[in-house]
Amino acid sequence: MPLFGKSQKSPAELVRSLKDAVTALERGDKKAEKAQEDVSKNLVLIKNMLYGTSDAEPQTDIIVAQLAQELYNTNLLLLLIQNLNRIDFEGKKDVAQVFNNVLRRQIGTRSPTVEYICTKPEILFTLMSGYEHQEIASNCGTMLRECARYEALAKIMLYSDDFYNFFRYVEVSTFDIASDAFSTFKELLTRHKMLCAEFLEANYDKVFSHYQRLLNSENYVTRRQSLKLLGELLLDRHNFSIMTRYITNPDNLKLMMNMLKEKSRNIQFEAFHVFKVFVANPNKPKPILDILLRNQDKLVDFLTKFHTDRSEDEQFNDEKAYLIKQIKELKPLEH
Amino acid sequence: MAAGANVSCPWPNTEDDYELRDVIGVGATAVVYGAYCKPRGEKCAIKRINLEKWNTSMDELLKEIQAMSSCNHENVVTYYTSFVVNDELWLVLRLLEGGSLLDVIKHKMKVTNCKHGVFDEATIATVLKEVLKGLEYFHSNGQIHRDIKAGNILLGEDGTVQIADFGVSAWLATGRDISRQKVRHTFVGTPCWMAPEVMEQDHGYDFKADIWSFGITAIEMATGTAPYHKYPPMKVLMLTLQNDPPNLETGADEKEQYKAYGKTFRKMIVDCLQKDPSKRPTATELLKHPFFKKAKDRKYLTQTLVAIGPSMETRVHKASKKQPGASGRLHRTLTGGWVWSEEEDEDAEAPESDEDSSTGEDKRPMNELQQADSSGSEDDEEPVTGEKKPLQETRMDEKGGPQVINLVLRLRNARRELNDIRFEFIIGKDSAEGIAGELVGAGLVDPHDSVPISLNLAKLLEAQSMPSSSKAITFHLNSTGPNEQFDDKALIGFAQISIVD
Repeated sequence: MPLFGKSQKSPAELVRSLKDAVTALERGDKKAEKAQEDVSKNLVLIKNMLYGTSDAEPQTDIIVAQLAQELYNTNLLLLLIQNLNRIDFEGKKDVAQVFNNVLRRQIGTRSPTVEYICTKPEILFTLMSGYEHQEIASNCGTMLRECARYEALAKIMLYSDDFYNFFRYVEVSTFDIASDAFSTFKELLTRHKMLCAEFLEANYDKVFSHYQRLLNSENYVTRRQSLKLLGELLLDRHNFSIMTRYITNPDNLKLMMNMLKEKSRNIQFEAFHVFKVFVANPNKPKPILDILLRNQDKLVDFLTKFHTDRSEDEQFNDEKAYLIKQIKELKPLEH
Repeated sequence: MAAGANVSCPWPNTEDDYELRDVIGVGATAVVYGAYCKPRGEKCAIKRINLEKWNTSMDELLKEIQAMSSCNHENVVTYYTSFVVNDELWLVLRLLEGGSLLDVIKHKMKVTNCKHGVFDEATIATVLKEVLKGLEYFHSNGQIHRDIKAGNILLGEDGTVQIADFGVSAWLATGRDISRQKVRHTFVGTPCWMAPEVMEQDHGYDFKADIWSFGITAIEMATGTAPYHKYPPMKVLMLTLQNDPPNLETGADEKEQYKAYGKTFRKMIVDCLQKDPSKRPTATELLKHPFFKKAKDRKYLTQTLVAIGPSMETRVHKASKKQPGASGRLHRTLTGGWVWSEEEDEDAEAPESDEDSSTGEDKRPMNELQQADSSGSEDDEEPVTGEKKPLQETRMDEKGGPQVINLVLRLRNARRELNDIRFEFIIGKDSAEGIAGELVGAGLVDPHDSVPISLNLAKLLEAQSMPSSSKAITFHLNSTGPNEQFDDKALIGFAQISIVD
């Protein structure tokens, strides 16, 4: 901010001129170019207010509080996100930075922006649908992951119908968008342990029928990433009841046994970490036990030769030895 | 998405839409091709990364790509798209046909006498000014490049200069938030170009680390090499930390060799190479330095650089000959573990560098001992299930040269945190004493421990000639605190050297 010359705009003025510019941009009339310039310019001013510049410190708390209040009152955050595709390259990044900064703002233990977004969940849904659009996907992802850090916001997203769109987003052909979506997806399913466990329990069938498709994806990265996440989910003690449910289904076991034999060593290895849970289960239901018994010799043989070059990985070798022993000792249920 | 997307026909995400042509770079996990995009009728570079060999978390890759895709600047490599083909990731990038600045330097040194300097000041100023503009943008984006050097500066046939290779670039702040964290705590980079504070890693570092590397690159453009290029990495660390900052004469054979370079240029180098990072100028400030008044335009570069550069064919030939293990890169993690990964060199003799961008180098930064980086603690918590880490291969020189043994010294640092220091021992070339001295010199080991380390290293290596010898040895250190409970299991008052194979 220049010390002399143009006097600095107040937060209210800044927010108003940004809103006017975005509205003009949205209308898309012949002044759109000018509007785009104004949007970018005002975004930079707001960003500098929040973050400071190399010459200026960020603004005082009072100014920032006024700014946030104005953003809530005018619903500008939503308007910005809705028009993100119309904003220029650098402006898109500025929107994400402003959004994330305001989101993190706290008054004591309260997070006013989180409270605000709870009353305006369209913000979250608009952000989630950002993955549909290549040119704004990663900007939306940056904001979504910041939102996902707050339990209240993560809950809204998890329990929305839109959540199931992630199963599509994580598989889009552009790698960086798919991976970005995957990291948001993972964040939503793992960040708040209790919330995630409750969600998975309540929606077990729906989630896992969708999840199955990821594990069978044509896309190597989707398969590898989703298998790894599955292992993490099942082995998290918060998800104990989900794990027990998962390992009673013989179809799941068959899938893992097939994945153990995949060409990719990384996938084999991830599959091992899910497969081991089926074997280690002390109360194997009959259909699971039957499959293991039917393949008893083959499994012992297979595991004995499985990734023998991982000699330094003690945990893996211990687990493998344990599995081999368990499988060798398997006996049919007595009647 | 990246810049320059042609709206009528965006860069396609299918293998069949591209025609692969020459290999222009080769690394351990990636190969870079010159390619042709059929629907767009346009040339491009394609970096094919073998994901099966990529053992680091996929998040690392995503970070690299996001670092690229969030840039839209003429001096930063242009990313078009990326997609998965079987177990490979294909990155589609702008093709810069002039190759890397290092290619041009090496070629020029081979075909002309460069004793009194490789390039004239106008060429140096022109290239470096473009690099600075890229750096300025990069820094304003909240990113640190961390590996600025001639090998990572690419030239277009029209004289375009772009900074490439985001393999090690870091978001200064997680989630691209400039406010949350001001310094990074892990480091990677190539020792010769690495700033002292990056080596010391005590306080973390910031954008200014790139300015140091930029200064080293300036020397490289004049003399053809980084000042300490003749030395092994540990020694480079030591020299950088202990000596006064290098200058044009540091690596010179003769005193007056580079006297043709003027005061302004020298002053600019001095400004960049100040040990105290806060004293170094920012990229923006540096752009105002009088030296850059000497800068000319792109066209000038097409005459002084591109025209004299090696032909694509020469480079292709070299790229495919490149041997893994010829050189490497040293990485150090937050807790001070050292990781040496084979890669591009800082040695003028090694077969070299690939043309395009984030080139074919092996990008496996910190594939071992990656400790949870404190900076990422909130955003990228890594998994619970034991991370699967690759074993570092023991390397033999391809030509049946000296055998190299990879070792790890595990001990506690001054803060009593366990550190792993990885190093190589070349049979017939290194001595246990010398290595111990280097470890002390690099500040990695207490001087009191030099003797026990040297003795036990020798003992361990000697034992290797016997069958069924032990691969590790645990021994007592001298530098123990007054109240310490010695414990050889917990390595309190003890250290361990082991052979990694």
